[in-house]
Amino acid sequence: MKQSVSLTVNDRPVEATVESRLSLADFLRLELRLTATHLGCEHGVCGACTVLINGEPARSCIALTVSLGGDEITTLEGLADDPAMQVIKQAFHDKHGLQCGFCTPGMLISTRDLLKRTPRPSEGAVRDGLSGNLCRCTGYQGIVRAVLKAAEDLAAS
Amino acid sequence: MNHSDTKQGIGASVKRTEDARLVNGQGTYLADLDIPGTLEAAFIRSPVAHARLGAVKVPSEYSNQVFLAADLDFAHPIVAATDDPQFQSTKQFALAKDKVRFVGEMIAVCIAPTRAQAEDIAQSCELELDELPALWDMDVATAPDALLIHEHWRDNIYLKTDVSVGDLERARKDATVSLSKSLSMGRHGAVPLECRGVLAHRDRRLNELTVYSSTQFPHVLRTCISRAIDLPESQVRVIAPDVGGGFGAKGNFSPEELTIAALAMKLDQPIRWIEDRRENLIASPHAREHRYDVTVHANNDGLILGIEAMIRVDAGAYSVWPWTAAMEAGMVVGILPGPYHVPAYAAKSQSICTNKTPMGPYRGVGRTGACFAMDVMLDAVARELHLDPADVRLLNLIKPEDMPYQSITGKQYDSGDYPEAARKALAAIDIGAIRSRQAAGEKDDRLIGFGMSSYTEQTAHGTAEWVSRGLPVVFGYEPALARLTPDGKLILHVGIQNHGQGLETTLAQVASEELGIAVADVVVRHGDSSVSPYGMGTFGSRSMTMAGGAVSVACGQLADKVKRIGAHLLQTTADAGTLSDGRVHTETASVALNEVAEAATLHPERLPEGEEPGLDISAVYEPKRSTGAFSYATHACVMAVDPGTGEMEILDYVVVHDCGRMVNPMIVEAQVVGGVAQGLGTALYEEILYDENGQPLSSTFLDYMIPGCAEVPDVRMLHMETPSPHTKYGIKGLGEGGAISPPAAVVNALNDALKSLGAEITQTPVTPLRVLEAIESGAVSPL
Repeated sequence: MKQSVSLTVNDRPVEATVESRLSLADFLRLELRLTATHLGCEHGVCGACTVLINGEPARSCIALTVSLGGDEITTLEGLADDPAMQVIKQAFHDKHGLQCGFCTPGMLISTRDLLKRTPRPSEGAVRDGLSGNLCRCTGYQGIVRAVLKAAEDLAAS
Repeated sequence: MNHSDTKQGIGASVKRTEDARLVNGQGTYLADLDIPGTLEAAFIRSPVAHARLGAVKVPSEYSNQVFLAADLDFAHPIVAATDDPQFQSTKQFALAKDKVRFVGEMIAVCIAPTRAQAEDIAQSCELELDELPALWDMDVATAPDALLIHEHWRDNIYLKTDVSVGDLERARKDATVSLSKSLSMGRHGAVPLECRGVLAHRDRRLNELTVYSSTQFPHVLRTCISRAIDLPESQVRVIAPDVGGGFGAKGNFSPEELTIAALAMKLDQPIRWIEDRRENLIASPHAREHRYDVTVHANNDGLILGIEAMIRVDAGAYSVWPWTAAMEAGMVVGILPGPYHVPAYAAKSQSICTNKTPMGPYRGVGRTGACFAMDVMLDAVARELHLDPADVRLLNLIKPEDMPYQSITGKQYDSGDYPEAARKALAAIDIGAIRSRQAAGEKDDRLIGFGMSSYTEQTAHGTAEWVSRGLPVVFGYEPALARLTPDGKLILHVGIQNHGQGLETTLAQVASEELGIAVADVVVRHGDSSVSPYGMGTFGSRSMTMAGGAVSVACGQLADKVKRIGAHLLQTTADAGTLSDGRVHTETASVALNEVAEAATLHPERLPEGEEPGLDISAVYEPKRSTGAFSYATHACVMAVDPGTGEMEILDYVVVHDCGRMVNPMIVEAQVVGGVAQGLGTALYEEILYDENGQPLSSTFLDYMIPGCAEVPDVRMLHMETPSPHTKYGIKGLGEGGAISPPAAVVNALNDALKSLGAEITQTPVTPLRVLEAIESGAVSPL
């Protein structure tokens, strides 16, 4: 069954008629071709599909598109000009916070949210704060260092 | 991204070129491809472990969207056998015929415009299955009256091996202690964060079947597909786009790849399959599941006199191409003695067929289990003799003066100082302080333990090694085509596949070393059977050594030509030039690479007489000796365990590592740490359990735990750098090593902690429940 929905994606209004079972992740990826949002488990555990819904991080794989009428969705693409995100991306590059890159978009969005809430986190707070995002490559060391560096750089800027 | 490094050749921690697209969400993985008209596939997989397959009832409205074995009968089955005449081989058809042998085996493929619709169709079909008893465990499959999984076999064992070297009788006679134990390592998965996926379509202009796959070896896969569906290789192209992790699980020829390729060709229709996580956990090749019965004979000082081992591996229902079902056990037999001097050795192995998912390669192949068995036994010997395990280890490690060293199984350890790595690890973790802390006891009543483990890892296996294994393919070399474009930039076309290892950067560093070109001016093209000469792909810790060597040779030859042309342009003698900063320099003048390149490509009239135009150099590299370059390391860790709850914590983790000459220390360190995290998964968290009906019990990330950020410690790393005498620059491979020692180091630390309770852990993953069980069956009451 299809339903109509109006929502905002990366500051653009979007009107769509979609299957009521269509996840937000599939809507973003298949209908809008926003493929920075990755699917690692499709059951809400790995965090690769993390986007912002009304500014809060959420798993787009277990959010239904038709339930998001009037909501504002932000994906990594929508944060291209976000100054904090630019600092975070640079820190992930500088501290080797990614290998295959598949978890990276979700990791970046969770990092931005963590640093918004906790501008100068301890190493332990970073590890707890990112525990909802799985990475299979890095062993997290580069990621933790990147987040700590981003915190430092954001504080300095 | 801002780059600020100046020195960019071998040894520089250059930041990665590939990061720019990946942090901007512009990586293109299999599911991101957008080929017009693509239909999505969903497989109907066997819901039972063992059954005769009857009819598949397909609703009539879907008859053109569901395909069965008979529809793909033109495709040859996958057969992976060693050249050992005793090996009992399997035929794995694209889709199951007559019988299903594991939960997850593919029976049919459904296609529709979306995956959801394809799944709906799969759901609407009915299977007739006549269930047979599930041989769900290796003990069940090897029981005397066990049903045969493959009816024409003698028994449910792919291959038995038996080797005996040295004087074991004497070892038994001379031993002060002959300690026997049974150990086991759980079954788990490689679990890359991006699941597998395939997209195939026919390129009508080129009359070419283009197969995109999330694979580690595109050329080899091209050969497989070509042979399986009888197309000339010139009419098959395989492309690996960005690959979201592999770790071995994407370095096989899978029935999914075969099915999608065959169906796309048959229907002349683009078709894609994207694996979901449940499929990944139940149907992507599994890893490990080893059982060991080991006896160590040692003298009063803990010196090893001999080792006897029985190794059993649950290899699942089919033999995975090209590695075969005997790979795990075979590698264990060869490397069990590890970095220790073992004068007498006898090992028997069985690679057992069960109604479980086939066993494939995973980071550390064989060695993680072998190292676990060896190092846990060494600690047990030390406890038995009331010696410090560190002393026993140092006593038995091969001495640097004995390098190069031929192991008792014939492995040629090339270089290194194994005891020094162990000593550095002991110093870094401060063994003295740990012993004092243990003596003082913990305020929270937790028990503290120290564990260490040393391994040696054969990397960059060359021709001799693969020939000795008798596999269908001998992965002995790697090519590179170096191409200087008219604007003076470099493109490297290589046969490996980069999926997180940083090879787009490190291969550019090799080019920078040879050509004095900036890394930013080098593009590395890989993962496409049509862009590079035939190459073997990325697995077995080989790409940096093999493809790095090939890039070095090609760029070295290119450098000679560039210098000749540069010198000519500068009107000086041919051998006067040097290359740096993107220029050819003579004593008095210099010329930029782009001017040289322009002369060679667009203005041949400017070339010296007799110089051939063009700046494309293709080279193939094999190490000087093909018996492998051996990286090694010692891991040391401190664990705390709560004897009341079984809860564990890693308090400290140190790695002292030697992978020869490091091309990029930043990347080396991250590869090792990433490996350690996976090894900790093996040690503490990851397990695919089956029930006695052969049903997999771990099919989501809720019941299959991979380590998260809060579970992995900050690993402290120290590097040693002993070059390999056999390879270009002395590089040794290192991709897998980090995953080898953690289970042994962790279990040794736990056993050290639990020693006072007489409890001993012999099985991974070590869950809190297993800790409590060990304490309960221990000699000393915890109360």
